[in-house]
Amino acid sequence: MTTRAEAIATALSWFDDDDGYFATLADRVSVPTESQEPSQLPELYRYLNDFIRPDFEAMGYAVTVYDNPFDGGGPVLLATRIEDPALPTILGYGHGDTVRGQADRWTKGEGPWKLSRDGDRVYGRGTADNKAQHTTHMGAIKAVLEARGRLGFNSKFMVETGEENGSKGLKELVAAHKADFMADAYFASDGPRVSLDKPNLTLGNRGCINFDLVVNARDGGHHSGNWGGLLSNPGVQLAHAIATIVDNRGRILVDALKPPAISNSVREALNGIKRDGGADAPVIDETWGEPGLTSAEKVYAWNSFEVLAFVTGNPSNPVNAIPPRARANCQLRFVVGTDYENLRANLRKHLDAQGFEMVEIADPPPGNDAIFLAARTPPDHPWAEWVKGAVKRTTGAIPDVMPNSGGSICNDVFQDVLQIPFVWMPLSYTGCSQHAPDEHILWSITREGMELVTGVYWDLGEEGTAWRP
Amino acid sequence: MSNEQASSSDGKRKALDGIDEYFDSGAFKAELARRVAFRTESPEPDKRPELYRYLRDEMTPYLDDMGFTCEIYENPIEGLMPFLVAKRIEDEALPTVMTYGHGDVVRGYDDQWREGLTPWEITVEGDRWYGRGTADNKAQHTINLAAMKQVLEARGKLGFNVIALIETGEESGSPGLKEFCKQNKDLFKADVFIASDGPRMQPDVPTVFMGSRGVFNFTMTLECRDGGHHSGNWGGLLTNPGVRMAHALATITDAKGKILIEEWRPDPMSNSVRKAISKLKVGGGEGSPEIDPEWGEPGLTPEEKVYGSNTFEIRAFECGNPRNPVNAIPPRAVAYGHIRYVVGTDPHNFLPALRKHLDAQGYQDIQLEPERDYMYATRLDPDHPWAKWAISSIGETSGQEVAVLPNLGGTLPNDCFAEVLGLPTIWVPHSYAGCSQHAPNEHVLAPVCHSALRIMTGLWWDLGEGDTPTKTAA
Repeated sequence: MTTRAEAIATALSWFDDDDGYFATLADRVSVPTESQEPSQLPELYRYLNDFIRPDFEAMGYAVTVYDNPFDGGGPVLLATRIEDPALPTILGYGHGDTVRGQADRWTKGEGPWKLSRDGDRVYGRGTADNKAQHTTHMGAIKAVLEARGRLGFNSKFMVETGEENGSKGLKELVAAHKADFMADAYFASDGPRVSLDKPNLTLGNRGCINFDLVVNARDGGHHSGNWGGLLSNPGVQLAHAIATIVDNRGRILVDALKPPAISNSVREALNGIKRDGGADAPVIDETWGEPGLTSAEKVYAWNSFEVLAFVTGNPSNPVNAIPPRARANCQLRFVVGTDYENLRANLRKHLDAQGFEMVEIADPPPGNDAIFLAARTPPDHPWAEWVKGAVKRTTGAIPDVMPNSGGSICNDVFQDVLQIPFVWMPLSYTGCSQHAPDEHILWSITREGMELVTGVYWDLGEEGTAWRP
Repeated sequence: MSNEQASSSDGKRKALDGIDEYFDSGAFKAELARRVAFRTESPEPDKRPELYRYLRDEMTPYLDDMGFTCEIYENPIEGLMPFLVAKRIEDEALPTVMTYGHGDVVRGYDDQWREGLTPWEITVEGDRWYGRGTADNKAQHTINLAAMKQVLEARGKLGFNVIALIETGEESGSPGLKEFCKQNKDLFKADVFIASDGPRMQPDVPTVFMGSRGVFNFTMTLECRDGGHHSGNWGGLLTNPGVRMAHALATITDAKGKILIEEWRPDPMSNSVRKAISKLKVGGGEGSPEIDPEWGEPGLTPEEKVYGSNTFEIRAFECGNPRNPVNAIPPRAVAYGHIRYVVGTDPHNFLPALRKHLDAQGYQDIQLEPERDYMYATRLDPDHPWAKWAISSIGETSGQEVAVLPNLGGTLPNDCFAEVLGLPTIWVPHSYAGCSQHAPNEHVLAPVCHSALRIMTGLWWDLGEGDTPTKTAA
């Protein structure tokens, strides 16, 4: 009779084999699945049909690839392995798409689409977000199947390809095929863990809404010598408008953009949580953000306002002219309880009151217009407690539990459509340059993730530890 | 005496008729089109050969033909833009005028021009002749030299000496020009400087200005860290350089453009300057932008804002990747700042004052860099004899009242001529404010070019008549 330890050993021997995990991930990273580029739609299909489908089918899953109901949206794969309708069903998730490669801005590795190892770091677009993470889950399921001959529970696993473009159409698709996707609980990996040296679980996510602030003063540029002092400068106006929304240390100044007060339970869960992004993670600016909050509270329990990009004039070749327009791509990350539905109306009111009627609130550019809603599974839910126990059986310690992540993900699909409890086990780390050039994973952390995830899948099917909803 | 007067005014009329014919026949347009076709974009280093070609293949033969001795000089700064110096000395005893033009243009921005227009050809739409460099400065020196040629043909000689300087780096801040003038003062011994650039007050009002505002460009850079970081994981923990730069910029002027840094503010205008400015009227002209009355220094008239005050602009500001924004906290922000200033403000104090100001507001993290050499502000008293002489000639030829500006709102390398060479400087602009100079869709107005050709023909004619300030004073 095989043991938990043997199942984990099986998983690790595949992980350590050059032709195993690394080769599998290299194949997956080589597909430029940039979901923000409409022309890459065929690559999204290729990723699912040529790389994900065969691996699930080899593990005895029935695989369906659904077209996205949103025009131009990426397809969604669902792999289903029902061993016994009486057993609980666990839904897994991954996303095969990535943000843009930004190839010309990489300084490490061998560019976005070639997996490249340098010490403990493995570079490539989509490594951290999310290709390594679902590769780990698929490898863990395979190891449990090899060790036990069966899973001991029912497994559904979905891989979408539009996450970086806002998971457009996903909610509608799952709603339309609710029975296909229905499960008792949800377990998956995405995003970074909070601390480098220990794992954590995450029970929700911040929401994310992007919008542009635009000043369109006039049609063309005008010579600043002839017109300076006579024509409004849209760059000056927009800079001033932004300065009324957030202060020069990142504190949100508009009440309507703030969340309600942090609840005691959330404050408790975050108590003692330290952010540790590793040696190359950016240095936290202690004086940035909402004053009086801990770093963990700033990211996991508060809202943040960002200028993602700003342009006025012609920055690559500035000329001595008053620029005709200015545009800032802005973002609000928000926690549960924020009045996101009235965001634009409230911001409009604020700008008008400050005398910035000329600042328009406009739609963000396609490709950066995703909206994510905030979501959370209660920290004391039995499914969350069970996963905590499974992690402890591997590490010997109860993991930290984050009420929600700082980043955004499609939890509202599970929260609102399937209405099942969801637990995330992030396998990346905060210094991974996700969404930026030089994205990478840490090999050591990824290997530890292999053990942890295998342990969870093993325990789900093992008498004595199995979870029964 | 009366015969002489008659023959003189006949001669002037003949010259003016000749210049009318030059315009009406299309010869002027053809000459301008030939010059616009040279892609003399001085901000593009790979266009350097075009600059040489413009001076060697276009201007030199033209001036040779008028009896000038031409020589192309290298820029004193190695590898930078060349100069053409052309001289026609008829008699050392005659007055000598120095004139000037620049053969270079700003970047074409070919893809930003309105459909149907291209920067490197003349496209005619009604009174407008579109093309890069039409207004700034090819039409202007084409007009001045063609007028001179007309006088030469009508009189058989000019009746004065000319030193013409054509530079090719003006749109890049005239690098080396000052050094060149300093090193070659002997080349430029003259009694008066008369040249053309910039816009008229109103399209139909002949204009003279005697100096220009200075310009000072600088960059403000905020480098927070090496790369972008996921705004979900890091939002709230990492300084957003875009937010911070916006705040820093918001401390330089108020939301309506009033300068808040004391050292950047102009000295109060003198009465004579205020009086000269009070006769001016800015704006207007078809296609001119609508003036924002609320913008700029409060309490000043629009004319005082442009001719008697200092202004700050954000020329450009970038952070993140505006073409393809991603959900990351950008690592850096860069703002390109720009000050126009009048005589009396010390430009060497701009950056130290900004540094002090930013430090006081807690922005030690923002780096400041001057962008290029200073271009100083200059002014000539409107009552100077040469100014009065030129204004009177132009008024007589045009039959119109001449708008007189103590200085231009824009900036010319006039300090080279006024300060280094010590010349009284008279500028007779031939463009208009709505010309989209420095932007796509640059153009000149055909009737203004025609009027300018006549004015300059008259001015050169009168200069050769002998009744000029220097000679009477001497």
